[in-house]
Amino acid sequence: MAAAQDWNALSDAAFRDAFRDLVEGRLPAELRFMRKQRPLFDEVAVWYHALAEEGWLAPVWPVEHGGMGLSPAKHMIYVEEWGRLGCPRIPDHGIGLVGPLLLEHGTEEQKAYYMPRVLSGEHVWCQGYSEPGSGSDLASLRTSAVRDGDEFVVNGQKIWTTLAHCANWIFALVRTSRDEKVRQKGITVLLIDMTTPGVTVRPIANLRGETDFCEVFFDDVRVPVGNVVGEIDQGWNVAKSVLGHERIFLGATTRPEIAIERLEKLAQAKGAFSDPAFRSRYARHRLDLYDLGSAFDRFAKVLREGGELGADVSMLKIFTTELYQRITEETLTLADEDARYFDDIDAGNGKVDAMNLFLDSRAPAIFGGSNEIQRNILAKAVLKLPG
Amino acid sequence: MPQAQLDDPEGTLAMLRDSVATLASRFPGPASVRAKRAAGGDRDAALWQAMAEAGWTAILLPEELGGAGLTLAEQVVVSEALGRALISEPVAISAVLSSRLLAEAAQSRERDRLAAGLVDGSLALAPAWIDALGRAMTAQTTPGGGFSLTGTKRHVDLALSASDFLVTADMADGVGLFAVRAGGPGMSVETAAGVDGAVIGTVRLERCAVPVEALITSAPSLDELLEEPIAAARVALAAELAGIASRAVEITIDYTKGRVQFGKPIASFQVIQHRLVDMWTDAEFACAAVVNAVETLALGDDRAGRMAVLAAKARAGDAAVSVCRRAVHLHGAMGFTDESDIGLYLKRATGLNATLGQPEDLRLQFVNLERAA
Repeated sequence: MAAAQDWNALSDAAFRDAFRDLVEGRLPAELRFMRKQRPLFDEVAVWYHALAEEGWLAPVWPVEHGGMGLSPAKHMIYVEEWGRLGCPRIPDHGIGLVGPLLLEHGTEEQKAYYMPRVLSGEHVWCQGYSEPGSGSDLASLRTSAVRDGDEFVVNGQKIWTTLAHCANWIFALVRTSRDEKVRQKGITVLLIDMTTPGVTVRPIANLRGETDFCEVFFDDVRVPVGNVVGEIDQGWNVAKSVLGHERIFLGATTRPEIAIERLEKLAQAKGAFSDPAFRSRYARHRLDLYDLGSAFDRFAKVLREGGELGADVSMLKIFTTELYQRITEETLTLADEDARYFDDIDAGNGKVDAMNLFLDSRAPAIFGGSNEIQRNILAKAVLKLPG
Repeated sequence: MPQAQLDDPEGTLAMLRDSVATLASRFPGPASVRAKRAAGGDRDAALWQAMAEAGWTAILLPEELGGAGLTLAEQVVVSEALGRALISEPVAISAVLSSRLLAEAAQSRERDRLAAGLVDGSLALAPAWIDALGRAMTAQTTPGGGFSLTGTKRHVDLALSASDFLVTADMADGVGLFAVRAGGPGMSVETAAGVDGAVIGTVRLERCAVPVEALITSAPSLDELLEEPIAAARVALAAELAGIASRAVEITIDYTKGRVQFGKPIASFQVIQHRLVDMWTDAEFACAAVVNAVETLALGDDRAGRMAVLAAKARAGDAAVSVCRRAVHLHGAMGFTDESDIGLYLKRATGLNATLGQPEDLRLQFVNLERAA
């Protein structure tokens, strides 16, 4: 591993250069700008291990745990460059969620055991939150963990578990007790080895024809009590505290940027920019994207100046996901009868994955807290509306 | 709640914002609008005088002309606060556009007279740059050494109260900006009610004779003469519109919290809550677009600055009009009454949105600029 260095001391430009050098040196060309949005671990293992070797795998983990210790400002650059340079998404639940979870609530033994295994790729994590009956209403979850001596016996089912079919560990919210008045009580965060007998994973095909997410079944799965993170029955608060400044990334401009690039490419090929009706519609999307950048900057500035994000940052998630949908819908409109095909459109100047993005754009408005839930949060936490 | 989040290390912008709020408590916007409308007037003279005394009619006028010589950041703070308070004076045109037009003029006694009057509020300057179809303003030199102006200008703010019109006119070799005193021979003014309570004028000049000193500046084309002043005025308008949008959201939140139906405040219903969230988001985006315009212009890249201004005026105009439309709706039948202030916000938003370019036009200009590169 490269010697630890103070990345935050670098200028922004020098930091960008360092990232670009890394990508050019270590990321195989065939992995750049991958069509697949959620590649499996093995498909991007070369890149994962390269990042680990260079010390770039865990941007916000503290240096003493093998991370880069980046400030939120530098982390924003890291994420920006990652997208700009076409780096493929890696299975990042261990880096992005398990690490912060353990740092905040884990025991010293847990940190020492799990964190190095995330960095080495020995443990690949997935997140077990949603259940068939508990989506937006997550606190109604029913997967149970019943104490039996030094173990919990887990029974139940998780669903929409992204990349569970390439993971070997899952951090799950399970019910350890029931409080009729406060449903958030009695939930516990449990780390479960997926090779334990009784764990079954079934991939689910999505609209794009890919299998990003899965169902995970637990049938009398025995988990040591030492695998609880934080206090038993307090898992709701433990899980909630994990996401800090990272919430800004749900509102990033990346997806609509990709979509408008495709729209422009197809429009160019079809000569649509000389059609006043198209130009008018395009202008609206283009300005929505431009203004989303201005709104994003407002929150980015808060982080750059060392502040903390408020609940109001959710506005970005709503706007960017709905804009992504509008642009991909426009691209299908422009595709005319080519919009009957599942595969990419031959635009004359290259292929345009109009249908792929249209279908993909259904998802972000649903995941990460559906846009209706985001509006509920804004109504209560920011607008202070009653009831 | 929503507010343009400008850098304010010294806290001076916050003080400025407070002082506008203080003035607004002395001159409540809605009452001023209603009085002006009832009188068929085009301004609130006492209010304008108070703004001049506070220094807000010449924020963007350079110091060597006696102005405050401040930046668009200060103008945005004042304009946004005026919008919030529904103080509906033609600040963006009479103060901002005039200040920037005068800033382009070389030193002359006439320029300095106009600047001094703008600063102390003793003169009411009325820029008039929009030609009526088929009646483009022309300036011909006269044997006596002055000019003769003929043509018609439309959409003129302060047409009744103006002491001086700042009139653009075609000349043999470009475009001139003329200071034309109100009420002289050859000038006639007609007015029509504006949607926001102030009358708007059409100014007709027929062989209107002005002295040679009346030509205060000139440029090869109208675009070159007006580009920078219009950009500044658009930013001021965008800020005012963002202020209107923000305040209309707050008024509507208060109203829906107090309005009880089916035994509950209607603000407790999810459908109302989601609409309020969307309105609030639009107001926040308008504020962010205004900040982006100020910051991008300050970086000095001409094309990027122009695009940011177009985006800000488009975003804030759309936001203000659509927020106010939804605000009226959420007020129910009360929203449709003249007695309710929310309708005044909608009218003011509509009028300002139509001033210096509607969103559709501005967006197309943005795309033209971007794609020309």
